Amino acid sequence: MRTTAPMALDLRMLDEGRLPREIFWSEEVYRLELERVFARAWVFVAHESQLPKPGSFLTTRIGEDEVIVVRKRDGRVAAFLNSCPHRGNRVCSAEAGEARGFVCNYHGWSFGLDGSLRGMHESGAYDREPGFDRSELGLTPVAQLDGYKGLLFATFDPDAPPLAEFLGDFRFYLDVMLDNDPGGTEFAGGCISSVLGCNWKLAAENFAGDALHAGWTHASGAEAMLGGPVAALGDPSNESYHVNVNGHCWEFNLDSVGNAATIGDRRVVDYLREHRSRFEERLGPVRARMVGSVSSANVFPNFSFLPGQNTFRTWQPLGPHRTELRTWVLVNRDAPQEVKDAWKKGAMLTFSPSGVFEMDDGENWEGATHSNRGVVTRRQPLHYGLGMESRIDHPELPGNVHRGQINDANQRAFYRQWAKMMNSAGWDGVLETEDAR
Amino acid sequence: MTPATTPATVLETADRVDAGLYVEVLQFVAREARLLDEERYPEWLALFTEDATYWVPGIENRSRHDRSGTHAPERMAYFDDTIADLRHRVDRFTAPTAWAEDPATRHLHVVSNVEVEAGEAPDELTVRSVFVNHRGQGSTDSAVLYGRRTDRLRRVEGRLRIAARKVVLSHATLPAKNINTFF
Repeated sequence: MRTTAPMALDLRMLDEGRLPREIFWSEEVYRLELERVFARAWVFVAHESQLPKPGSFLTTRIGEDEVIVVRKRDGRVAAFLNSCPHRGNRVCSAEAGEARGFVCNYHGWSFGLDGSLRGMHESGAYDREPGFDRSELGLTPVAQLDGYKGLLFATFDPDAPPLAEFLGDFRFYLDVMLDNDPGGTEFAGGCISSVLGCNWKLAAENFAGDALHAGWTHASGAEAMLGGPVAALGDPSNESYHVNVNGHCWEFNLDSVGNAATIGDRRVVDYLREHRSRFEERLGPVRARMVGSVSSANVFPNFSFLPGQNTFRTWQPLGPHRTELRTWVLVNRDAPQEVKDAWKKGAMLTFSPSGVFEMDDGENWEGATHSNRGVVTRRQPLHYGLGMESRIDHPELPGNVHRGQINDANQRAFYRQWAKMMNSAGWDGVLETEDAR
Repeated sequence: MTPATTPATVLETADRVDAGLYVEVLQFVAREARLLDEERYPEWLALFTEDATYWVPGIENRSRHDRSGTHAPERMAYFDDTIADLRHRVDRFTAPTAWAEDPATRHLHVVSNVEVEAGEAPDELTVRSVFVNHRGQGSTDSAVLYGRRTDRLRRVEGRLRIAARKVVLSHATLPAKNINTFF
């Protein structure tokens, strides 16, 4: 790992509400991102429910590193690089399934569910080789893997602070989705992925805080699903917030079902209304109104979701100008099957590559990426100056709280966290809260 | 030697289809494709029965021996629609605020390999086809999607109507930012 930054990323202009465009275009910034952000941060890799039994596996990426996530015989989950230590070929070609182990197609090197090397074609030749030690040649594991209420995260950095500390007080907000029901959650089944010609950060920052685009970009989707425009969100009398912790961001109002209503199925809204008292019991009066409200969130760096529509997704970088989107649908495990099915279908009808809302996002992010091809264009800073004075203290909401969801506060927090990681090879001062220690 | 192989049975069934009917179906799918090319969505919707289903499952890259298969009804789908859902989608396409639809996408729906068989109900046909869907957007953007369709066509008051369509895309990861069209 590099110990010094090859380029200085000066994001002080964020204090004036501006952002340099270079960070969406430069190959050099991108290469550093893979090292400093994706090879160090805790990155979402799976929901527990995707790995129901020993041998269940899925393949994903952390940055551009391909990873196998697998439930071992002892029931614990592990994650390894999907690359054979012999010649580097991948050892698992399927995106999900069940396996007894993983075998490389090239020379038959085979690995157990725990990643250990078990054998290979012509193993006798290796056995006769002095000093050959199978135990040194397993699949390379991630440095740490841990979970929070069903979500599994991994990091390649042995020095990364524990997941609990990385998430910090953002766990208080995550409970809105993960712990509003005693049965916990699951992914509803399947995974849909697509490729966007945009920088991954533009998508992540959109979910981190961009309530502003909802009413404009998605006017046609709202027309289709609600028969009218998205309600104006910026009225100062509306109770709405930007909150962030360690660059993890959630923008929301407290209308309870505003997002959920867009999926066009009464059963989902009815489920939320019927369970309101349970949400209040478990989450208190404020968070209970966040479960399906007009809101969006991003767990730094690239794991986003929408309460209400319950789409969960990662923005996996494939270069500075290319991103793979992988999406799932989160449901409460104990919800009636018909409610789970309605949620899955509704999430796809609204937020998927064919969704009436999402269809308009990719176009914008691609445009916002590719305009920066121009050298003069690239010199022009972007405006991130909404809500510069919106910081408040709130008796019930932890973290950095800003009044009003029509705001750029979370986007600024996202880029500040990104800059902290980009500018430091270590973790000193990278996380802002010490509460979890 | 294996007597009466399955492929021969399929071919014999296909051979028995009336040429006039086959031409009628060919004309139907070509006209349907042109309605989509020309974004004549309300007219396209009128080709469906009121009880129609339109299913485009997500495709997963799964091992051959994985019995759960590459797609399944319990998994996420790009479209898992009734006629009411299709109408929602058309409402979005035709809304004047659908910014991403202007300038218009240049669509080309190519449909081929059409097979016509008797359906399960006496007034229905099973029609299989493959498609290539090209979309040109902006000055240089283009997206190409491929897939295979299985339709249940029903004769309603003398005309062919789509009662069910299943579209199996050839792509696991969709090589496109969206699907602003139908197949």
